Amino acid sequence: MTKEDKAVLHATRRQFFRDCGAGVGKIALLNLMGERAFAIGKDHPAKIEHVIYCHMAGGPSHLEMFDYKPELVKWDAKPAPESYLKGKRFAFMDSFSKETPKLLGTRRHFRQCGEHGMWISDLLPHMAGVADDLTMLNGVATENFNHGPAKLFANTGSIRPGRPSIGAWVTYGIGSESKDLPGFVVLQSGPRGPRGGALLWSSGFLPTAYQGIPFRNVGDPILDLSNPKGITGEDQRRALDAIQDLNRLRLEDTSDEEIKTRISAYEMAYRMQTSGPDLIDFGQESKQTLEMYGAEPGIGTFANNCLLARRLVERGVRFVQLYHTDWDHHDDIVGPLDKVAAEVDRPTAALIRDLKQRGLLEKTLVLWGGEFGRTPMGEVREKGKIGRNHHIDSYTLLMAGGGLKHGITVGASDDLGFSPAEDKIEVHDVHATILHLLGINHLKLTYKFQGRDFRLTDVRGRLIEKALA
Amino acid sequence: MWQCIGLVFPLLLAAQQPSSTGFFETRVQPVLRANCIPCHSDKNLTSGLSLETLESIQKGGNRGPAVKTGDPEASLVVHAIRQTGDLKMPPGRKLKDSQIAILEQWIKDGLPMPEALRKSKRPGANHWAFQAPRRAPIPAVKNQAWVKNPIDNFILARLEKAGLEPSPEADPATLLRRVSLDLIGLPPTPTELDDFLSDKRPGAYERAVDRLLASPHFGERWGRAWLDVARYADSDGYTIDAPREGMWLYRDWVINAYNKDEPFDRFVIEQMAGDLLPNPAQAQLIATGFHRNTPSNYEGGIDFEQYRVEAVADRVMTTGAAFLGLTVGCARCHDHKYDPFTQREFYQLFAFLNNADEVDKEADRKDFNKPFLPVGSPDDLKRYHAWEAQLQLLENELNQYRQSIPGTGSILDPGVVERERHINDLRKHMPKVTRALVMKELDHPRQAYIQLGGDFTRRGANVEPGTPAVLPPLDVRGRRPTRLDLARWLVDRRNPLTARVTVNRMWQKYFGKGITDTENDFGVMGERPTHPELLDYLALEFMDRGWSRKAMHKLIVMSATYRQSSKGRADAKAIDPDNRLLARQNRLRLDAELVRDSALVACGLFSEKLGGPAVYPPLPPGANSVTQVKREWKTSEGADRYRRGVYTFFQRSAPHPSLVLFDAPDATTTCTRRIRSNSPLQALTLLNDEAYFEFAGALADRLLKDKTTGDTQKLKEGFLLALDRAPRAGEQQRLLQLLAAQRDSRREEKAAWTAVSRVLLNLDEFMTRE
Repeated sequence: MTKEDKAVLHATRRQFFRDCGAGVGKIALLNLMGERAFAIGKDHPAKIEHVIYCHMAGGPSHLEMFDYKPELVKWDAKPAPESYLKGKRFAFMDSFSKETPKLLGTRRHFRQCGEHGMWISDLLPHMAGVADDLTMLNGVATENFNHGPAKLFANTGSIRPGRPSIGAWVTYGIGSESKDLPGFVVLQSGPRGPRGGALLWSSGFLPTAYQGIPFRNVGDPILDLSNPKGITGEDQRRALDAIQDLNRLRLEDTSDEEIKTRISAYEMAYRMQTSGPDLIDFGQESKQTLEMYGAEPGIGTFANNCLLARRLVERGVRFVQLYHTDWDHHDDIVGPLDKVAAEVDRPTAALIRDLKQRGLLEKTLVLWGGEFGRTPMGEVREKGKIGRNHHIDSYTLLMAGGGLKHGITVGASDDLGFSPAEDKIEVHDVHATILHLLGINHLKLTYKFQGRDFRLTDVRGRLIEKALA
Repeated sequence: MWQCIGLVFPLLLAAQQPSSTGFFETRVQPVLRANCIPCHSDKNLTSGLSLETLESIQKGGNRGPAVKTGDPEASLVVHAIRQTGDLKMPPGRKLKDSQIAILEQWIKDGLPMPEALRKSKRPGANHWAFQAPRRAPIPAVKNQAWVKNPIDNFILARLEKAGLEPSPEADPATLLRRVSLDLIGLPPTPTELDDFLSDKRPGAYERAVDRLLASPHFGERWGRAWLDVARYADSDGYTIDAPREGMWLYRDWVINAYNKDEPFDRFVIEQMAGDLLPNPAQAQLIATGFHRNTPSNYEGGIDFEQYRVEAVADRVMTTGAAFLGLTVGCARCHDHKYDPFTQREFYQLFAFLNNADEVDKEADRKDFNKPFLPVGSPDDLKRYHAWEAQLQLLENELNQYRQSIPGTGSILDPGVVERERHINDLRKHMPKVTRALVMKELDHPRQAYIQLGGDFTRRGANVEPGTPAVLPPLDVRGRRPTRLDLARWLVDRRNPLTARVTVNRMWQKYFGKGITDTENDFGVMGERPTHPELLDYLALEFMDRGWSRKAMHKLIVMSATYRQSSKGRADAKAIDPDNRLLARQNRLRLDAELVRDSALVACGLFSEKLGGPAVYPPLPPGANSVTQVKREWKTSEGADRYRRGVYTFFQRSAPHPSLVLFDAPDATTTCTRRIRSNSPLQALTLLNDEAYFEFAGALADRLLKDKTTGDTQKLKEGFLLALDRAPRAGEQQRLLQLLAAQRDSRREEKAAWTAVSRVLLNLDEFMTRE
């Protein structure tokens, strides 16, 4: 950061605090890149500095991968007991209401992995290999059984669009360490975009500077990062210098501090242009590393995104979110699940190993999971095939990284996997815990909007104490 | 006389029933005070219930009336304290049997209470914003010469009190650029500037203002501000996010309403309830698209009723924010924490908006987004209605057939399959019309109820349509209060909020902040206005001038306050760091659409075309790859490539990046003020985006067109086109230096002048209203 930047940041920060202190939504001058200088600040010492949230879009079947239910296998093909269904709401209610749905025991083989015997199925052999670095949360419950709203809930704590996402809250709260990359980056892989699109990484009512910036898989990672066609690096620098000089003259004329911020923003934009190509240059990685992830330069795979996530975290980016779509297995829980599990298994394990060997895992949280799980009952949409419906009352999330108890499983579902058997873990609890690890008290991170102090955890959120080291 | 009765009457009562009120005071009240009132008071109103006064007890809470007078067995309160059902009061413990018996006796006796406790008092009712605006005397000022209209008296009086001088008027070129950007959202062309500067007759500025107010671009500029409030978008939102092809009809209705200066009261009534007006015209139906801008979800497996309820709740919140400047949404799950609104009152407002003929069950999925208004030529409409009738016929026939076959009408029955195929084929062949999304009232209104905790599956007491008690009463014209009554109530002269809220938002656009800075919260937690008498003056003028918005815009831009220079002043900064007293104008970054529009005007590519379907200017590759359903972005050709930003197709799940990066709202909830951020991503857009590079190239072509002019002349022209002024010496020298350096490294003149043009389009001044 140049001396001038610092002066600008300082001036802007004072403005920022003054405005915030004065009342409602009065942010006249905003941060440039969610830099630390603007941060509202931490409430207690942080355990971690970065978050990598691997969102498995569509609702992965926890019953095929993590939440082993031998009783369910035993009662396979029997009608689901009325007492378990009572009071529950499901997607596609009408097809369920025709006849009592039948239980479906998993066909997958489970084994206990690692020192504490964490249950993981044979679908995920690589992830099983890092079980001692994982913390499994079972009996997680969410609020809505449809993809779009449930994804909004997982990201913003509300099923209604319009609230800030967790990455926006975090960068609003404590800024980012990176001075030439956005503080909140979104990466995407799989056959389609996640349902809800940009609303999932929206800044909601927070200033737009905190929204997630989607990186593209082809071409420049950030929109408009390259010079226009035919403009050389020299052309660009020359034009930029002239812009800055003229803006300085205007600043003298008007003494409007906003121009200082603009000058700094243009300088940072230029730095991003230089650092962007370096970020995505996988040529700097060893062959061994590329193989570990299964990454191949130039294509938009989950493996590439995992490697990119590590490179982003190395460069100080605060919050990286990866979406991998295609987990919505209504009609067939066999072949399609094999395929998508294979796509993510190796890169996920590689990400955790790689972060660990570089000393980054202890200051990073990796969160892995979908917007909900899948029903203990089977769903038949096509003769000869069986899948599972959306299930919101109990599913599984994985965590890895600093500040956690490793290798253990927290929470549990009942024998048939319908409801939490121990303390229910709610999505707001997961959010509260992530903020806690980052040094933020979820009750204190608020933003006043339309007369109310909003927070990520709404009126809820308890720390998942059992998972914390 | 009345005072006498007030004194005598309770005495009479007391004389008649000494034991009863005495019983209340000695036996009942201690039990209530110790056990119930802490939560159930007029102030705390837990679950909407206050047990403080006779009125509040009889009204009851969210679960309905608390007491049936004279009948303990039928009283909810009695069951709660006996703890025989789900509801157990007080929480976590139980009253003694003797205490329960006292309350039962009191109910049986008909709730005798002292006169002082018969009526509820409303806390917060004396809040300034709930009182009618008052016309204060126009303040006297020392510097009478500075004053152009009464606005200036209000502003200058405060400045003089603070010991501050106002700033001098901005220079004419800056002033014309400012008022053009503010009124029509476009910078003046060099010709317009020249005309203005050479008009030496008195009244030149007013003539310029009148010209701008009459421009059809006025509606585009100010209509866009209203579209923010209306959460307008061109797609459905949520998961599938399909295009809403006819929504632009509403957008054009708004622009048109601004252009013809439709009085604001009619503007509100038509949007809220145009469908309920007698013999509504097509435009009045299209206007009701206002409340059809809510996002809609129809992904597989949803409960349609849930999303309908969500949309209605959004309409209540939007109505509260848009017209009343109130945070009524706070009362969706519980009573408002600060303002005197109960959760019951939220659902009373909800009841007005709950009766649209919308999809609320899976069986209606095929009519998703109904009701529609088909718009097209008479022939098109004829074909459409014939198609509709045919469809109805086939569906009736299918239903009859289903009933005729044994069983439940199996989906595998060949007759059913065949008929359904037929129907689906016909659906695919809808004759070409544009379908506007409109409001249509059901014949039988849905029963509204208090949703306990804001959850539609938890039914509380039924409620009927009604307006918050702290505000003036609703006039009901028919048998039952309707959405039209609500609309009229919003713009009733007695309503203390709507006019204030609306003029405050106009003011906010002109000065960056409103007279009340909390433009979306006029409640008790909102900021008090800096100039309350001015706010009231403007609100009353607005209504007195027949709710004419153009009249108000003119009043503001004609003021000396508005015309001041925006240059920073150390003396004013020391006394008033946030410039709330307006000793100068504020510099404001242009709104997202205006950055684009200004560049289009400067480079000469600007298309003047008004209205019509949304357009698709170039989108950076990959910018819409984040949506669940791939949406093709068919980049517009020809003039449609260069239309104003207000016409760019707004896809909710992947809005055009150049809009959102410059703080355009995301169109999910009502937006009453845009934030102004200043980020490197904005810099990247203006420096590198294909569109802006094209604009810079076009500007270079414009400068190069005249082969006879030299560099300094060309530079001057470039400055005029981009900034409406000539370059100063230092600026000229710096850009000539750039030009020389570019020529050194490259031969082509186009490239050298493109570099200069890029600089001009990236200047802070270019994207700022001075």
